[in-house]
Amino acid sequence: MLRSLTRELRFLRRDRGALFWLALAFALSVIAVSFGIAEVREQRATIATLVEEDAADRANALSTQQDWGGAAYYAFHLTYEPPSDFAFAAVGQRDTAPWKHRIKMLALEGQIHEADTRNADFGLVGRFDFAFLTASLAPLLLILLLYDLRASERTARRHDLLVATVGSPRSLWLPRATLRVLGLAILLLIPLWVGAMIEGASPGVVLQASAIVIGALLVWWLIVELVSRIDASPSVLLTSLIGLWLALAIVVPAISKAAIEAANPVPDGGEILLLQRETVNDAWDLPKDDTMEPFVEQYPEWREDSVIDEGFEWKWYYAFQQVGDQTVAPLARQYREARLERDRDAGLVSLLSPTSFVERAFEKLARTDAMAMVAYEDRIRDFHEDLRRFHYALIFPKVEYDAARLEDLPQYDPSR
Amino acid sequence: MTAPLEARSLSLMREGNAVLDDVSFSVAEGEIFALLGGNGAGKSSTLLTFLGFLRPSAGEVLVEGRSVHANVAAARSSIAYLPEAASLYGHMTAYENLEYFLDLAGRKATRSDLDSAFERVALAEEARSRRLQSYSKGMRQKTAIALALLRETPILLLDEPTSGLDPVAIDEFHDLVKALASSGQTILMVTHDVYGACQVADRVGLLRRGKLVGSFAAEPGRRIDTETVHAAFAEREAA
Ligand SMILES: Nc1ncnc2c1ncn2[C@@H]1O[C@H](COP(=O)(O)OP(=O)(O)OP(=O)(O)O)[C@@H](O)[C@H]1O
Ligand SMILES: [Mg+2]
Repeated sequence: MLRSLTRELRFLRRDRGALFWLALAFALSVIAVSFGIAEVREQRATIATLVEEDAADRANALSTQQDWGGAAYYAFHLTYEPPSDFAFAAVGQRDTAPWKHRIKMLALEGQIHEADTRNADFGLVGRFDFAFLTASLAPLLLILLLYDLRASERTARRHDLLVATVGSPRSLWLPRATLRVLGLAILLLIPLWVGAMIEGASPGVVLQASAIVIGALLVWWLIVELVSRIDASPSVLLTSLIGLWLALAIVVPAISKAAIEAANPVPDGGEILLLQRETVNDAWDLPKDDTMEPFVEQYPEWREDSVIDEGFEWKWYYAFQQVGDQTVAPLARQYREARLERDRDAGLVSLLSPTSFVERAFEKLARTDAMAMVAYEDRIRDFHEDLRRFHYALIFPKVEYDAARLEDLPQYDPSR
Repeated sequence: MTAPLEARSLSLMREGNAVLDDVSFSVAEGEIFALLGGNGAGKSSTLLTFLGFLRPSAGEVLVEGRSVHANVAAARSSIAYLPEAASLYGHMTAYENLEYFLDLAGRKATRSDLDSAFERVALAEEARSRRLQSYSKGMRQKTAIALALLRETPILLLDEPTSGLDPVAIDEFHDLVKALASSGQTILMVTHDVYGACQVADRVGLLRRGKLVGSFAAEPGRRIDTETVHAAFAEREAA
């Protein structure tokens, strides 16, 4: 086998057509990885700027406050989900789902879903990142490298001489195809490895990603191999294989995406925003007990302090913000569940298309999948809950205002 | 002693058509056997059956006494095959082509081995390191013949070996084939060149529409008579 590999390597070095596709694969991989790193760096830079401004803005806003309610009202808190060290390879949901929110002590769900009022667009092909290259384009390159391995020799009337000379056809076609698949895999992976080194991605993740790339190429190799068994001209083989590629890499993912979306309707984020706004606005005109009762149900510890006597009191104001969240909670839960449901369905359906499978696998490794984005939203909710508990403890029991205590404000921690 | 090549009641179907019908012959060691026939007579198909590319529908073919289809790779390793209108790689030089194909056969040849083979087929020295796409038809044929020589197999299967060669080259080729046979190689060549076949062969078989319809052997010290064979060939074709 080694001997036939070195023979075919020498042969490949003279095969300009194959060299062209291999060089193209390398160039595309370099471009995809560079794009990914640039995108991730830009996101990090944006986050760094926001983090820097965050503390200063808040200090600025707090410096002029006279009471706890005002302090809670005017302070913004930055939350964000930094890209993982492998996100450069699969930008994934970070393209469409928000990864930063500046939130306030007001009703939260509206703030989370504000960015969602415009629907994420329905793209057939995603961003040009490494995951897209491996999942969608690499199979096409593999097809171009392999489809006429045998057929071209038949057309050139060289097939019988080659096979008669080598004796067993396997010791010709197998090393020829192996080298092309191996070459493609290595040329795709080298830029990924370099990118991973630059980004400091963990070797375990890189190893898994490499295994996914190689596995995907092996699956496509099997497909090409099976189709090439048909005794047809190179152009017929190519047409059939490109048809298969279109079906598996483009049509099946698009149709299954549409079907999954139809089967799991997700409430519009805008609906949540609107309902919450209405609830909060209506609360101004409702009897105060209508607000305080549901609030106390949630936070019985403030029952004693929840009697509102004056016209306006901050605790009433924050209570109706809280109730705004309670009102939209079922809708928000539905939104969250439906997205997770879609994700689960997409996971099942991805078994039908190697392309979807590879993209999902990469997004999972890069933590840019739907789960990761939902987990980020949950982290915002937890943080907001901390904020609430901190502020309620100051607002409800009528504690004397003391700006120094605001230094203990909860801090958002993206790694929590 | 078993014959290096033997066809036993060989019948062959290709896409539903009978291509060979009950053909039997054998070629002895060091013998040159020429299978003569018109277009579509089944000559190339006969060679492809010896190489294991086509499966007999009845009867069998044997190489060195063993059924080809019992071990195709073993049969192929004893045979150097010169295909009809042989085509090597156009983007490689003659040297590179031969190195590659010999490597395929598991043989290593030095530059001087290659050069002496090229000398024997009279391929000009300046051409040898040129790519084959710049070659004439005859030069390509010579390169393919050189490859068959370098294989140094006990058996040679030659399909229209002189097609594309000029008259001088044809004469030289015939001398070469005779030399190979006298050094012990067994040669089965197929052709529709009556004159060439009679010039070189120890025995000529006449194939017509898949049937072996005549056989002519050289007498000691005399070649096969071209006129006789030609008459038989023409008569059979006309029939
Ligand atoms: N690839 C093929 N598939 C099906 N039938 C074939 C194929 N090649 C040849 N044949 C048929 O087999 C028969 C014998 O063809 P073959 O090539 O053996 O003839 P031949 O004697 O070599 O002719 P020529 O002198 O033209 O080379 C013909 O009837 C031909 O139509
Ligand atoms: Mg023929």
